[in-house]
Amino acid sequence: MNLNTTYSEQELVDLLQHRNEKAFTYLYDNYSGALLGIVNAIVTDKETANDVLQNVFINIWRRIESYDPSKGRLFTWMLNIARNAAIDEVRSKGYNNSQKNVPFPESNEIAGAVTGTDITDVGLKKILGNLKGELRVLVDMSYFQGFTHEEISKALNLPLGTVKTRIRTALIQLRTMIQ
Amino acid sequence: MNVQEYISSGIVESYVLGLASEEERKEFEQYCQQYPEVMKARTDFELVLEKQAMQNIIVPDPSLKSRIWNQIGVTGKVLPMVEPVPVRKMSWIKYVAAASVILLIVSLYWNISLFNKNQELKNNYDLASEKIKEMEHDKQVLQQNPHVKMASLKGMEASPQSFATVYWDTASHDVYLLANNLPVPPTDKQYQLWALLDGQPIDLGMLDYYVKQKKLLVRMKNAQKAQAFAITLEKKDRSDVSKPQGDMYVMGNL
Repeated sequence: MNLNTTYSEQELVDLLQHRNEKAFTYLYDNYSGALLGIVNAIVTDKETANDVLQNVFINIWRRIESYDPSKGRLFTWMLNIARNAAIDEVRSKGYNNSQKNVPFPESNEIAGAVTGTDITDVGLKKILGNLKGELRVLVDMSYFQGFTHEEISKALNLPLGTVKTRIRTALIQLRTMIQ
Repeated sequence: MNVQEYISSGIVESYVLGLASEEERKEFEQYCQQYPEVMKARTDFELVLEKQAMQNIIVPDPSLKSRIWNQIGVTGKVLPMVEPVPVRKMSWIKYVAAASVILLIVSLYWNISLFNKNQELKNNYDLASEKIKEMEHDKQVLQQNPHVKMASLKGMEASPQSFATVYWDTASHDVYLLANNLPVPPTDKQYQLWALLDGQPIDLGMLDYYVKQKKLLVRMKNAQKAQAFAITLEKKDRSDVSKPQGDMYVMGNL
């Protein structure tokens, strides 16, 4: 809960890079909910999502020196750490039992898996539901499941260039839906 | 290079979301330094994304914070320390300090519970709007079907503000009920839908109170013929369900 202090982005980064605990508390209080939102879109199990978020904040604290403001905002950096951690979790062995797993499913399975709208989806994942069939599959596979363009190209039997342009088209559409 | 074309190619979104290839990343970072428009487009999208994320938060487990703090070895003291003060001269300060710490804790608690409550309301709202969307879709499908007749059921004396809609497919005889507004029934009672033909009621089934349904639009028993529809509120343990006994809540002609 942020009672009265607010920091500019640069102040916050400076303080964090100097291991200021109060700034870290501020970071947690203000951004943990948003980061859990993205983690939860990938790791649907709530308890696991909380565990992932724990590692995300530990990573942020340990890796804050490597954050480079010229490459993007702090939140973007944290968001990508959160997304990658969540994807790693889903792909790790421990998560295999009941959830989506590492071996690549057949392309028609993938299409089937993401066409049903799950009404509990929130945030980006929910907006994703508004994209048309193939575009939705492409964004789901690349952003939420972390497959590379090459892997998607093989799995869907589409030329690499097509995969790339269609993902970009999808992202542009997503953006207009967010705004 | 055409900067505008580059910006609108989707590279900005792709880079920010972490989907660009190593090569694309390097090129994009270089252009950011070179062209202020590219940098601005990047920041703009980052802000859009951040705002979106801040509107879709999920409150973490309350124990998570201390788990993290333990692991990274920070003390995590959020509350300001109250310095010990010389007691004799300034004992009132102690009370003020204690009182303010208590106030702070109360206000923190208050904040957290309001925040959680707010989140809960928002989730409920999202769920409800999703249901409404679904319902609108079903409604549209029904309304586009040329065989479907619609009856608006208006509130009767027992409940003038009640309102429901029946869609009746005259080809398939399917009946769908949309409970636009029906009061929550007492636990020992339930609503029953009737088709009326020459003044005679025909049972079209019970309505599990509609909020329990995933869809607000409920499929009822088929009706071969009907001139009007009505809903009554009936006791649940009634032996003969073929005749209405309770109050009529809504009725409407085709």
